[in-house]
Amino acid sequence: MPGTAVAASTPRTTPASTEDPRELFLRWQRHGDHAAREALVTCFMPLARSLARRYGRSSEPFEDLLQVASLGLLKAMDRYDVERGHPFQSFAVPTILGEMRRYFRDSGWAVHVPRGAQERALKVRDAQERIANERGRAPTANQLAEYLELDTEEVIDALQAIQAYETVSLDAPRPGAEGDAGAAYVDLIGGEDERYELVELDATVSSVLGHLPPRERLILKMRFVEDLTQTAIAERIGISQMQVSRLLRRSLDRLRALTHAPGEAL
Amino acid sequence: MAETPNVRLCLSNRAENVLLVRQTLSGLAETIGLSPVELNDVSTAVSEACNNVVLHAYGGGEGPLEVEIHASSPVLEVVVRDRGCGIQPRDVDHEEVAGGIGLPVIRALTQEVEFNDLGGAGTEVRMRFATAHPRTLELAGKELSPGAAARRDPPTAHGTLAFTVGPPALARAVLPRVLSALAARAHFSTDRISDTQLLADALLAHAEGSLDASCLSVDVELEPRSLELRIGPLRAGRSEAVLEEATLDGLGSVLERLSDGHEISREGASETLGLRLAEHR
Repeated sequence: MPGTAVAASTPRTTPASTEDPRELFLRWQRHGDHAAREALVTCFMPLARSLARRYGRSSEPFEDLLQVASLGLLKAMDRYDVERGHPFQSFAVPTILGEMRRYFRDSGWAVHVPRGAQERALKVRDAQERIANERGRAPTANQLAEYLELDTEEVIDALQAIQAYETVSLDAPRPGAEGDAGAAYVDLIGGEDERYELVELDATVSSVLGHLPPRERLILKMRFVEDLTQTAIAERIGISQMQVSRLLRRSLDRLRALTHAPGEAL
Repeated sequence: MAETPNVRLCLSNRAENVLLVRQTLSGLAETIGLSPVELNDVSTAVSEACNNVVLHAYGGGEGPLEVEIHASSPVLEVVVRDRGCGIQPRDVDHEEVAGGIGLPVIRALTQEVEFNDLGGAGTEVRMRFATAHPRTLELAGKELSPGAAARRDPPTAHGTLAFTVGPPALARAVLPRVLSALAARAHFSTDRISDTQLLADALLAHAEGSLDASCLSVDVELEPRSLELRIGPLRAGRSEAVLEEATLDGLGSVLERLSDGHEISREGASETLGLRLAEHR
């Protein structure tokens, strides 16, 4: 059997990968040699790290996942049977993934929007506003990613989440906002509404638009008649661009439903 | 293969396209009711198979990446295909040779996986997932005419992709996601990314009844600050009608307001409606 010349103590400074993992497994599993175990952990930690990154994309904070993956790695190291001749990796991958899946299930992940995704959506919303205020125009997804040190994909997912879920309450004051901007959206909109109560809009109120609340009519008019950008609308009304986006989506959905509803008088 | 997939994505194997595949899977998850844990499993395994095409199928070069999703039965099936030499069935028995941890990850997350050598026409990874999703989709049914499919295939040019998707409920969940990811890639601002989503919603809502097939075909061409999408096949004369139906009293046609121009092309009895979106600044 090769590998008989393994040193009695494993020097920490030596890259563990230079040692034969098989020998290390035998030393750990049969003789309880903690130095061998440590060398194995060093050797296979990149595997756990890589799996945490691949499997946990865009969900929980990476450090949390890495901990779970490491636990999976330790379990795999205890259970792996050297004598069966399979490479450790093909045994460890399902064990580590199994550990992460269990963690997701136990943390209520199966039914809720993941905590990490929620936090990220809020960060993206706030950064969008900050950059739009500073530069006077909406940032690109790449600029947001750079600003927040996230992947562009994470930013795109966050933008989706903001559109899709009620995770970001429209009525919640935004952290870091000052003065008027910190007031709840609902309080502001009424006052602004009166200023923009325009004649042209009134003329159409008899149509399907009349089914929408005044604030939504106002936003539709600003976007489609005045051709303002969502950011410009957001600034005038004192809400975030993401909220404008959601309100536009909601009003258009509602209008389509009204227009297409059978028997609905137009 | 008798069954038409619910989604067929034809992309180039550039690394950033794997994101579009994941966005498609997110839309699928919403439509059929996959749990976040299930979606994460499917998405991770499919990404691994795609990454393999990105890295290895064309010796580091560029070529087609094709993804099919079948969701019409309780077992979800996703096929990732290349026209080069991706994962070879002969490698599969020698996991260490196949390199990386992609293969063990795919094995761990799927109920069943097949690696097929398409005899010189490429390789495919066929993954089946035993998920507990509460809904299945109708078969996508009749696709494009075979001639049209062959002509569209494979779109490997930079910034070009083609996909077919059906039924409409799936298209409604998938198209806005994919388009907003593309808009982000075209350096659109968050304003215009949101407009792109609104446009996709409106387009699907109004085009659905005008389709000349049971699934929708979408081509997208991407340039910096501009995105052009063409959808079809619409019945003759329906493109104008779609633009008109999207008109709201006092607001104009939502599709025209959100886009920067349209183009209708006719081909036999069918039409394709093209819409262009640009970032204005």
